[in-house]
Amino acid sequence: MNLRIRRFAVVLIVLYVVLFAQLNFIQVGQKATLDADARNTRQTVRDFNDPRGDIRTSDDVVIATSVRNVAGSEFDWQRTYPEGDLYSAITGYFTFGYGATQIEKVQNDVLAGRTIEQQIKGFRSLFNGQDTTGTVETTIDADIQQAAKDALGNREGSVVVIEPATGAVKAMWSWPTYDTNLVAVQDSALAGDVLNYLDDIPGKPLLANAYQERYMPGSTFKVITAAAALDDGLITKESTWADESEFLPPQTMDPIQNYGNKVCGGDLPEVFRRSCNTPFARTAIELGPEKMAAAATRFGIGETIPFDLPRATSSQFGDVEYFTQNLPLLGIGGFGQGNTQMVPLHMAMVAASIAHGGVMMKPYVIGATYDHDGGVLQRTAPTVWKTPMTPATSSLLTELMVGVVNEGTAKCCMRLANGIQAAAKTGTAQLNAAGEPERSHAWIIAFAPAEAPKYAIAVMLKGTTAEISEGTGGTLAGPVAKKVLDVALSQ
Amino acid sequence: MTDTNNVIAARRRSTEFRLVLMAGIITAGAYTLASLGQNSVIPPRILPFLAALLLVLMSAQIGVRWLAHGADSTLLPVATLLNGIGYVMIARLSERLAGLQTTWTFVGVAAFIGVLFVVQRVNDLARYKWTFFFFGAGLLLLPMVPGLGFSSGGAHIWVSVGPINFQPGEFAKIALALFFAGYLADNRELIAAGTWKVGRFYLPEPRHLLPLLAAWGFSVVVMVGQKDLGSSLLFFTLFIVMVWVATEKTSFLVIGLGLFVTGATAAYFMFDHVQTRVAIWLDPWSRYQGKGYQIAQAMYALGSGGVSGTGLGLGDPTRIPEAKNDFIFAAIGEELGLFGATAILIAFLLMIGAGLRTAMRTTRPFEKLLAVGLTTILGMQAFIIIGGVIRVVPLTGITLPFVSYGGSSLVANYVLLALLIRVSDSSARRLGEIPDAATFGERFAARLAQRRMKRHPEELEAMS
Repeated sequence: MNLRIRRFAVVLIVLYVVLFAQLNFIQVGQKATLDADARNTRQTVRDFNDPRGDIRTSDDVVIATSVRNVAGSEFDWQRTYPEGDLYSAITGYFTFGYGATQIEKVQNDVLAGRTIEQQIKGFRSLFNGQDTTGTVETTIDADIQQAAKDALGNREGSVVVIEPATGAVKAMWSWPTYDTNLVAVQDSALAGDVLNYLDDIPGKPLLANAYQERYMPGSTFKVITAAAALDDGLITKESTWADESEFLPPQTMDPIQNYGNKVCGGDLPEVFRRSCNTPFARTAIELGPEKMAAAATRFGIGETIPFDLPRATSSQFGDVEYFTQNLPLLGIGGFGQGNTQMVPLHMAMVAASIAHGGVMMKPYVIGATYDHDGGVLQRTAPTVWKTPMTPATSSLLTELMVGVVNEGTAKCCMRLANGIQAAAKTGTAQLNAAGEPERSHAWIIAFAPAEAPKYAIAVMLKGTTAEISEGTGGTLAGPVAKKVLDVALSQ
Repeated sequence: MTDTNNVIAARRRSTEFRLVLMAGIITAGAYTLASLGQNSVIPPRILPFLAALLLVLMSAQIGVRWLAHGADSTLLPVATLLNGIGYVMIARLSERLAGLQTTWTFVGVAAFIGVLFVVQRVNDLARYKWTFFFFGAGLLLLPMVPGLGFSSGGAHIWVSVGPINFQPGEFAKIALALFFAGYLADNRELIAAGTWKVGRFYLPEPRHLLPLLAAWGFSVVVMVGQKDLGSSLLFFTLFIVMVWVATEKTSFLVIGLGLFVTGATAAYFMFDHVQTRVAIWLDPWSRYQGKGYQIAQAMYALGSGGVSGTGLGLGDPTRIPEAKNDFIFAAIGEELGLFGATAILIAFLLMIGAGLRTAMRTTRPFEKLLAVGLTTILGMQAFIIIGGVIRVVPLTGITLPFVSYGGSSLVANYVLLALLIRVSDSSARRLGEIPDAATFGERFAARLAQRRMKRHPEELEAMS
C-alpha cells in the first residue's frame, strides 16, 4: 500500500503547487489590475474608516473635521464642515464615491497622516495609541470670509482678499456655491444626485468661481495698460489727452466710445479717475501689440495661476499676431473689453502687486500643515511670482487709485471707516453688443491703507441681473469692497 | 534497551516542545501586531491571552508527552500554529467571535487529550467499524430532524441543541473514515481479488463491495441533498483514495474518477446552485452585484495584500463576506501577503507529509488506512476551500481546518489530530522505538485479574 500512499503524496503536492502558482498569479501578476478596478473601494474605504485631521482658518475656526459615527455605521467616521457653505471653495469635499476636491484632495496625505514624515513620527504612536492625522491651517481669516459672504449677499460674483506682502489669501468667496455637507454623505447614490443637480445649475456652484473662472475685467484692466505705458516711458503723470467722446482706431470704421458716450479727457490722473476709455485705447495701440502682450505676460496673464488649490485657471489677453491684425481689439483690450478675461483671484493679485511696490506674490491658501502633536510639517514661505512693474510705477498707480477713491468713479462708496485711505480702480465690463439690452459685470480692485497696504481686494459681480447690469463697478462692487475692507482693517 | 528507546521518545518530545513554543511565540507576536496595526495599542487583554495560549499549548504538549510519547513531533506544533494564526485573524475581525473561538480551542484541546486517553490501542477501533458507520450516518441525518436542524448560508447542515449550534457533519467525516478503514482493512483482499466474472471483466464479489458502496452512496446523497457541496466533494475523494490505497487497483481510481465526472455533470444540470458556483468560478466579475461579490472581494483583498501583505490589522478584510469562516484564507492573504499565504500552504503540506509518513510507517492495514483517510480529510479539505477562494476550483463552502472560525470544525479537527498522533505513537511502539508498555486500561485490567486470582486461586487451577 505504501507505493500508493507515496503516489497520493505526490498528487497532493502537485495540488498545493497549483494553489501556490495561482496565489502568485493573483497577488503578483494581477495585483495592478485588481487595485485599479473601479469597483475596488478598499483604498477609499480605508480612508473612510481612518480618522482624518481638521482643516482650520488662520484664526483657528475649524472648517472641516471628522466625527466618529455611531457604532454599526457603514463607515467609522463622518466628514463634516461646521461652517456649511462658507468654505466649500477652499476645503472642497471628501466623498466616498466621487473623490475629493480642493484641500481635501491636495492635502489628503497630510490629513490622513500618510506623509513619510508623519509615518516616521507616527511610529511612536504605536505605543501611545494616538492617531497620526495632520491638520491643515489655511490663510483664510474667518471674519473677513464671513464679511465677504454677507457683503455679496445673494448676488452672483466673487470676492478675493489678499495680503499684498505675502500673497496669502485672507478671504475667497463666490456665490452661488454649495454646502459641502450635502455631498459628503455616506449614501453614495445621494451624493451623486446632489452633485448632478449642482452641476446643472447655471451659476456653476461646484466651481470655485473666484479662481476657476474668468470674466471680462472692464476698466480695472486700465491699471495694467497704465503700468505698461508708464514703465515704457510712453506716458507720464503729466501726459494729457484731448477731450473726445470717441476714437477711431486704425483698420476699422467703427469708433471706440467712452462709457455712456461721454466726452472725456485731461491729464493722466483725471482720465484714470474718470475712467475715460479713449485715452487707454490710444495708449494700448500706441504701445503696440508686442509691448502690450509683453506687459500682460509680465502680469502672469496667459499662465495658469500658481495657486495651491487644484485646477486653477489662467487669465487671457491675446497674443501679438492676433493684435497686429486687429488693432481695434488691442485698443478695447487696453480698457479690459473685447477678448480680455481675468480671473477674480488674478485681479486681486494685480491690486496686491501695486500695493507691494510692483511685486506680485504667489497666491496661497494653505498656510501650514501640522502633525498630530502640533509640530509643523510644512509652512508656506511667501515667494515672488512676477515683477510686473517698477516701484516708481506702483507708487504712481497708487496715487492714481487714491484719486479714484477721493474724486473719481469710486467716490460714492469707498470711504473706509476710521478715515483709512483706500486706493481703488473700478470696472464695468460691457457684455452686450451695441443695441442689445445692457449687460455688464461690475468690478472693483482696491487696497488699503493706501500708504501702508495690508489688504488687497477684488470684487466682481456677475452681470446676470438687471440691477447689476444697470449699475457700475463703483456703485455696486464698491460698497462690497468697503464692507469687507472695513471688517478686515478693524482687526 | 529501555534507556536508548526512551532517548528517541525524549528527543521527539523535546523537539515538539520547542516547535510548540515557537508556534506560541509566533501567535503571541501576531496577536500583538494585529492590535497595534488596528488600534495602535498593545492589546489590552494581552495577559489573559498569553495565559490562555500557554495553557492550551502546554496542556496539549503534556497530553502528548503523557499519553503518546513516541508520536511524530511535527503534527501538534503545526496544528497549533494554524490554530493560532486563525485565532489572530478571527480576533482581528471580531472580538466577540474571538471569545467564542477561545472557548472552542479549550474544548478542542480537551477533546484532543480525551481521545488520546480513551483510545490507547487504535487498532481496537477497527472492531467498532459498523458502530462508527451508524454513528456517522446518524450525525449526517441529524440536521434533517425537524426542530433540531436548520439552514445557514444555503446549506442545511446545522443542528441546534439548546444554546449550542454545531455541524455534525464535521464529526461524521471522521466516523466514516474510521468505518472505511475498518471495513477495507478486513475486506481489501477480497475486493481486490475480483472473483466475480461478468463478461470479460472480473469484478469484486457484490457481497464484499455492496456494503461499502451503500455506505458511501448514502453519505454522498445525504450531503448533496443538504447542499453541502464541499463535504460531498471531500467525501467522494476520501472514499476513492482509501479504496485505491487499500486495493492497490488503479481500475478503482479510474472508475472513481469516471463516477466523479458523471456525478459532477449530473449535479451541474440538476442543481441551480451548482451552475451558479461554476459560473462565478469562471467569471465572478459579471456577477459582481450578486453571487460573485464574495469572490471578487477576495480577489481585491489578495491583490491589495500583494507580496508582503498590508500588515496585520492594517488591511480591510471585513469587506470580504464570511472572512472569518470560509474566506479566512483571503483575509490572511491580504494582511500577510503572498508570504503568509504560502506559509499556510506549507503548514498544510507539513501536516500532510507527517500524516502520510505515519501511514507508511505503520504495518497494520487498519492503522495505515486510517492515517491515509484522516490525512486526506485534512489535506483535501484545505485544498478544496483554499482552491475555492483563489479560483482554482469552484467555491464550495467548507472550513479551513484549524484556521476558520467554528467550534464543530475546530473540535473535530483536534479529534482527527489526536487519532493521527495515536496511530503515529502506535507505529513507534510496533517498530520498537519505544517500549510497548501496557496502557492504563490494560494495567487496570491486569490488576483486577491478579486480585481475582489471589482471591479465587481455584479459577487458576481450573484454567490449567
